[in-house]
Amino acid sequence: MIPALSLASSLFGTSAVSQALPAAQQSAGVAAAGSDFGQVFAQVGEAINTLKTGESTAISGLQGQTSVQHVVESVMSAERSLQTAIAIRDKIVSAYQTISQMAI
Amino acid sequence: MIDPIDAAIKIAGSGLETQSARLRIVAENLANAQSTGSAPGADPYARKTVTFESELDQATGANLVRIKRVGVDRTPFRVEHDPGSPAADSNGFVKFPNVELLVEMADLREANRSYEANLQVIKQTNSLSSMTIDLLRNSS
Repeated sequence: MIPALSLASSLFGTSAVSQALPAAQQSAGVAAAGSDFGQVFAQVGEAINTLKTGESTAISGLQGQTSVQHVVESVMSAERSLQTAIAIRDKIVSAYQTISQMAI
Repeated sequence: MIDPIDAAIKIAGSGLETQSARLRIVAENLANAQSTGSAPGADPYARKTVTFESELDQATGANLVRIKRVGVDRTPFRVEHDPGSPAADSNGFVKFPNVELLVEMADLREANRSYEANLQVIKQTNSLSSMTIDLLRNSS
């Protein structure tokens, strides 16, 4: 449990620590990949691609190169991705805080 | 596995684009309802027709809709006697487009309704989607 926590905290700190920790985790035989805070954060970050698509479509729509329907569709898709990412982030942060405030 | 909600919005989006293309055709027909040919005896503007077809989207496996073909209405042109017109033939007859105002208005209304229906699908789907995401947010 402790390595997972420090991995999550390293996201906000140095990247070197976050790279070193998975190796330590593997050797220690801790839970499967994807279940720790750091990797969940990384996957949430991938949602940014949808936002970028929405952004570029909106700009090309402003320039008159794309139809309004297409702009609305991709901006709405981007918005949904963002809302999901924010909801998941809040969830992860609150889970992290719950664990970090646990009395040892 | 694609999110069905995403797919629904994409499908309705293709419906929007198709119906707006159809609106464009109706607008062309209405605007050109009086367009005669440029040379004496030449054919005037021919009414355009539009057909739709289903299109399989490879990414989502969903059946989108698209314009199959923009065709030309083959019904005979309306002929009027107007010897003064530059498009009149040697007998003084002018060919006018085969555009029926009433038919175009009906088509316009149908495209309008279809567009609204697709918009409604997007609206409902989006609201369902955000309601589901809110579930994740408020339950903490």
